[in-house]
Amino acid sequence: MSLRSRESLIFDRSVPGKVGMDLPKLDVPAPKDTRPAHLRRKGFDALPSCSEVEVIRHFTRLSKDNYGVDDGLYPLGSCTMKHNPRLNEKTAAIPGFAESHPMAGDALIQGNLELLFTLQEWLKEITGLDAVTLQPSAGAAGELTGVLLIRAYHLSHGRKRKVILIPDAAHGTNPATAAMAGYEVVDIASGSDGTVSFEDMTDPVTGKVKAGFLSVLAQYKEDIAGLMITNPNTLGIFEHRIADICAKIHEVGGLVYMDGANMNALVGVARPGDFGIDVMHMNLHKTMSTPHGGGGPGAGPVACRAILEPFLPRPVVVRETEKVGEGEVPHHTYRWDWDRPKSIGKVHTYFGNFGMLVRALTYCYSHGGDGLRVATLRAIVNANYIRKELEGVYNLPVKSPSMHEVVFNDAIQAKKDVHTLDIAKRLIDYGFHPPTIYFPMVVSGALMIEPTESEGKDELDAFVHAMKEIAREADENPDLLHQAPVTAPLRRLDETTAARKPVLRWTKQA
Amino acid sequence: MRYLPTAPAEDRALLDAIGVKAPEDLLSGVPADLLLNRALDLPPTSSELEVLRDLERMADKNRRFRTRFLGAGAYAHFIPTAIDMQVGRQEWFTAYTPYQPEISQGTLQHIFEYQTIICDLAGLDVTNASLYDGGTACLEAALMAVRVQKKRNRVLVSAGLHPHYREVLRSGFAAHEGLELVEVALNDGVTDPSDLAAKLDESVAAVLVGYPNFLGCVENLEVAAQTVHAKGALLISVTMEALAFGWLEAPGNLGADIACGEAMSFGNKTSFGGPFLGFIAVKDAHKREIPGRVVGQTKDLEGRMGFVLTLTAREQHIRRDKATSNICSNQGLIALRANMFLQLAGPEGLTGLATQNVAKAQYLQARLLELPDWKAVNGRPFFNEFALQYTGDWKAAEEAMHTEGILPGLDLTPYGFQNHILWCATEINTRTQIEHLIEVLARVASVVG
Repeated sequence: MSLRSRESLIFDRSVPGKVGMDLPKLDVPAPKDTRPAHLRRKGFDALPSCSEVEVIRHFTRLSKDNYGVDDGLYPLGSCTMKHNPRLNEKTAAIPGFAESHPMAGDALIQGNLELLFTLQEWLKEITGLDAVTLQPSAGAAGELTGVLLIRAYHLSHGRKRKVILIPDAAHGTNPATAAMAGYEVVDIASGSDGTVSFEDMTDPVTGKVKAGFLSVLAQYKEDIAGLMITNPNTLGIFEHRIADICAKIHEVGGLVYMDGANMNALVGVARPGDFGIDVMHMNLHKTMSTPHGGGGPGAGPVACRAILEPFLPRPVVVRETEKVGEGEVPHHTYRWDWDRPKSIGKVHTYFGNFGMLVRALTYCYSHGGDGLRVATLRAIVNANYIRKELEGVYNLPVKSPSMHEVVFNDAIQAKKDVHTLDIAKRLIDYGFHPPTIYFPMVVSGALMIEPTESEGKDELDAFVHAMKEIAREADENPDLLHQAPVTAPLRRLDETTAARKPVLRWTKQA
Repeated sequence: MRYLPTAPAEDRALLDAIGVKAPEDLLSGVPADLLLNRALDLPPTSSELEVLRDLERMADKNRRFRTRFLGAGAYAHFIPTAIDMQVGRQEWFTAYTPYQPEISQGTLQHIFEYQTIICDLAGLDVTNASLYDGGTACLEAALMAVRVQKKRNRVLVSAGLHPHYREVLRSGFAAHEGLELVEVALNDGVTDPSDLAAKLDESVAAVLVGYPNFLGCVENLEVAAQTVHAKGALLISVTMEALAFGWLEAPGNLGADIACGEAMSFGNKTSFGGPFLGFIAVKDAHKREIPGRVVGQTKDLEGRMGFVLTLTAREQHIRRDKATSNICSNQGLIALRANMFLQLAGPEGLTGLATQNVAKAQYLQARLLELPDWKAVNGRPFFNEFALQYTGDWKAAEEAMHTEGILPGLDLTPYGFQNHILWCATEINTRTQIEHLIEVLARVASVVG
């Protein structure tokens, strides 16, 4: 409960002499000071001095200014804000896991290796692909790993290819990743149905022609290293020509990367490996709810076809099975294989965000193969329920079937000078986190809503009600929405000044 | 399934409202031949109790050690109880990236405070909300240096960096044609000044030096800075044990242009190497080239202090292929643990903690050197880690220590340091533990001898 006004900065409350942490009396001789004088720490300018209770209160009060998944429906499209099971937190904290050391020898960490191996097997079955690395720390790290695999594959065939194709509806990490891996990015237009356009598209406003898939393919041919595609795409629509797209890229010798940010719409229902995808990542913090943590840590494992397996980051976990008599339970041992001459090397200092991987396997075990499918279908039902209830109240710019999320925009409300940002901010006053806004950029004023499978009908109805009320307000009293939010801890913030005159840390006032 | 709000009547109501008979009818956008026409070949749903048992069984297969002397980039430190209970609040761990500042001030203000403290420790002006870990932080720092230092295409990396950090750098650099990563040799435990001078020229964008380095040695950053700056290159200090900032002068105050590394030591368990906490701190002049999310202070409509994500024009969701990095999700919750740890410690706690680390490590080294088969390899100052040469049978010694519940230091032979063992002692190691270790090693020596 937040009864006070905004919490001040801890630095303004520091009182020298206070301390919130203590230590046992030193039981060995005091250290000799071996440092050259100039390497001696001269002290601190900002580090605050506070008691334990002051620090706990500070963080507790701050926390109350955050909206979390337990507060209610959190409809951030593409972010998959589903329930975060408490069991996952508990298993990750089991001391045998949490206190294990990354430089310990294989014989000492058999449990960890079994866990990683098992999770890889689950992800192989879920994606329909042949091999998995768990090293990437997040989705973007997974993308980079995947693109480096593609690059290594081409180089091993003596091919220098320069171009990665990316549909214009893609998440910004796709082009940023391709650039980080040294590739030139070529955009592909989206069609009116929201999926990759095979034909060139003319922008109705600017009259500019944007190249479609076929003309890009014809233009770059053997320069194409690969295509990065999100499926379902960022409009929540399944790329229905995905098999054809993959075949055409393969014809010119390219590979297809799938951004698995929306994999939660496919688990147990369809498998990228069956579409012709060569390599992909999954965001375990989305699909396997590991959770989001206010911005991380995540986990972005990469799954790939056998042709890319030799290039996977090293080390790779290997299972060896001891031969046993008939009817006996086979005995498995696990080890790291570092001898991977074609490996792209390491993409994480150790083996990835292991604690998140423990959570992900816990989530998998809890659901089981059957439960994972039920969750996927329920996520699709929930999104379609919201779509049905709100279509007409809000403009649905693309009418193709929705998978796990639905994208509206502000075309109806804009006539009264109410825009996406106003609608989003007003939703806060109704007690909900806003949806993802102004993304994907191919839809003007997008409101991207993803309810996830966690929501029951009551919560969905409450959200729908709030959205309908906001639409009514937009019609009757637009200015009310320009003022929103009014019930949040703060009103709208001045982001322009923040960027123009950046204040990025506290400094002591003279 | 306990997490799913399914009930026949309610499910029906939702489907009726949509106008379909079954959930599968909503898959009309997926071509029929791409649908999985079988159940996943995976075990069925399990109860909470069963899952917990399964995971506990797996965890039990790991060997646990009462006493640990292994560091090498992952350090076992004391964690105040208050941290787990605070971070377990749903407002922290279930929230998303703070894109809606009006209802994310908790996360935003925490990051602002975290940024302030990291800048303080590093002696630099600007940092971000976190990077994945020490190795990837080195890569981001090196790529940033190349952006800043237009027309310079080589980066020198000291052989004193953690071998895994160097491998992450190599993987990342391999993709950039025209960029070159060159290793600088070690001499007597630190970056060899003559090799550095020989390789340093006007094509070098930056030089990465460990502080302390992988062998635990404290490099003379000030001297390195003079050498590096003389050729117009940037100095990047790499710290894989950020607690050392409680003992050692801030790298920014010694001439480092960028400080990066690993800060897992602040409130996190070793957790098999992740999730950890990469950090990067830079000078004000380079703030628009820093990778990742940055929080800035501002005001709301009524003039009240507030915080927002800022300088977003550098980031992937705005700049796409021109972004400073592809990073999106970072290590948010781990940064929260670090922030709370540092606020609890304060200057007094941090200094005390660092001092205890030095004391324990010095004591451990002194006791080991009293044994006949341990030899000093350099006389460099160190923080909580140091390497010694072992003349005995390490396999036998390791075995004996494991049996006694001790996780010993790291054999550096595979990393090119023949028979060197890297020892770490922190505040969690008691004198009794150290004496026990010495006793076991003495026994091994006499058996072998």
